[in-house]
Amino acid sequence: MQWERQLPKPLSAIQGYGLAVVCVSVSFAVALFLDRHHFSTVSQPLFLLAIAIVAWYAGSGPAALAVVLSGLVNDYFFIPPLYSFYITRDDVPHFVIFILVALLLSWFASIRRRVERALLQSREDLKREVAERTQQASLLNLTHDTIFVRDMSDVITYWNRGAQELYGWTPEEAIGKQAHELLHAVFPVQIDSIRAELLDSGRWEGEVEKTKSDGTRVVVASRWSLRRDDQMRPAAILETNNDITERKRREQEIRTLNEDLQKRGTELAAINKELEAFAYSVSHDLRAPLRHMVGFTELLQKHAAPVLNEKSHRYVGIILEAAKRMGDLIDDLLAFSRIGRTETHKKSVSLEQLVREALSEVRHETEGRNIEWKVGALPACYGDGSMLRLALINLISNAAKFTRTRPKAEIEIGSTDQKPDQVVVFVRDNGVGFDMKYSDKLFGVFQRLHPHDTFEGTGIGLATVQRIIHRHGGRVWAESQVDSGATFYFSLSKSGGG
Amino acid sequence: MSTIGRILLVEDDPKDVELTLTALEEYNLANEVVVARDGEEALNYLYYRGNFTMRSHENPAVLLLDLKLPKIDGLEVLKQIKSDGNLSMIPVVVLTSSREEKDMVTSYKLGVNAYVVKPVDFHEFVNAIRELGVFWAVINEPPPGSVGRA
Repeated sequence: MQWERQLPKPLSAIQGYGLAVVCVSVSFAVALFLDRHHFSTVSQPLFLLAIAIVAWYAGSGPAALAVVLSGLVNDYFFIPPLYSFYITRDDVPHFVIFILVALLLSWFASIRRRVERALLQSREDLKREVAERTQQASLLNLTHDTIFVRDMSDVITYWNRGAQELYGWTPEEAIGKQAHELLHAVFPVQIDSIRAELLDSGRWEGEVEKTKSDGTRVVVASRWSLRRDDQMRPAAILETNNDITERKRREQEIRTLNEDLQKRGTELAAINKELEAFAYSVSHDLRAPLRHMVGFTELLQKHAAPVLNEKSHRYVGIILEAAKRMGDLIDDLLAFSRIGRTETHKKSVSLEQLVREALSEVRHETEGRNIEWKVGALPACYGDGSMLRLALINLISNAAKFTRTRPKAEIEIGSTDQKPDQVVVFVRDNGVGFDMKYSDKLFGVFQRLHPHDTFEGTGIGLATVQRIIHRHGGRVWAESQVDSGATFYFSLSKSGGG
Repeated sequence: MSTIGRILLVEDDPKDVELTLTALEEYNLANEVVVARDGEEALNYLYYRGNFTMRSHENPAVLLLDLKLPKIDGLEVLKQIKSDGNLSMIPVVVLTSSREEKDMVTSYKLGVNAYVVKPVDFHEFVNAIRELGVFWAVINEPPPGSVGRA
């Protein structure tokens, strides 16, 4: 450092006193030499010079020694009477002035030394403090967080590496600038209220929008801490910033998505409402004329029975049958649409119990028939009990229907475990089956693969099954060969998670 | 069972009225049927308004109420009846084409006494009407102040 060369090291005690003796000796020698060559009265300034040198370089102790030695030598060798320590009366003022000047010199020198010591001390203090600060600053530089310090007039006084990385300005560029001007800060609230809070509680935090050196905007989570000086006056503000731009962007994205979802939900609700109104009007307005058709045809049949021939009776019968079929279609269609409209109430349900209930529903359709029922082990699954029961009823009653031509029907209901959280339920029969090339039509509404006079039905049963299973997040499919039975499968989640 | 109770049939569709009356006729229950063609007329009857200012002072033994009605719909009629202290005791049977669960739930919440979905099949329809007529107008003891067996 610069100042280390400017201030000499203080001499040790021996060196100091040695210097005193040497200086006085040299002065004595020079004075003696000059005295021999008739330059008298120079001894006193020479000794004063020696004392001054000693006082300057060696301090007050050696200076005092130099004064005493110089006084004695001077008195002995140069002040008459020579070679005696005796001082004449005339010489007393002379001698006193010499001593006073010598003391003055020593005093100046000691002041100088005191100043020098104080200077050295403060230099040491300064060095220590600088080292400490440098270490702290380098520690702050280690962190990835953006940290900078502003004084109370908003001028940046410290700027760490994190700040440079985030905002792009080097400490040299940033320090000394007005922080809010440099960063074009946009605060969430009035700056006055932020200052008020900071002065009141010593800290403030909030989200602030700032600008980088390249002009891009960032949103940071900003925390301010107020530093006060010894008199408790606000001195500086330490600010740490965390870049939350990406988080804010994602939050905004989520918000937008949610809004979209909400809009879609509202649209869906409106569509659902429309559908509901449609179904309501279908259930009312379509059934009423049907009922009238049937009612009045029956009345006609009753009143005109005597005059109707066989053919007319048959026509009346067909009208009644057609009307009844239309009634069934409407009922099934409404039930089908209801599955899509009503909410599912999912919980853990026992498939075994559901199959038992479904079987008892189907039982009356199969009275008098030779059917061998096989029910395998069925686990619990997660779903809406009444909907799943309806699906099972449809599948089982289908199996019963399409095995009707068999002398002995075999219907098997069971399950397989393929995935840990999934159960696949199957209903297998030895009935007439179907051609796999029409399998895509199997689950469509009003799709039928058999003529109505062979196997009755509205063509809604499997569509209903599919809709129920889809509402449970499952899959439904079938395997068959013409005339060698069919197997219908559906998958379900075993727990609420899937 | 000296007399049968009066039935107030609230039904806008004349064909349904005819079928209902035919069904009731078969069991000689049609004589005491008053027909209202919409909700307003039904309420007029109950409150002695409009064409019914001069009607006899007893309430009907039962009200057969369609839900889909012009002007004031069936649920509204039901609500007014059940929230009026003088009328709330009249048995009300909803007789409707709709199997809508929502209607059913609303009706029961409003205090309906029975909810019948008109069967498409005529025999079933006749049976249902007959049973309703017999039960409410003949077997059931109507609340005091009704037409019929006081």
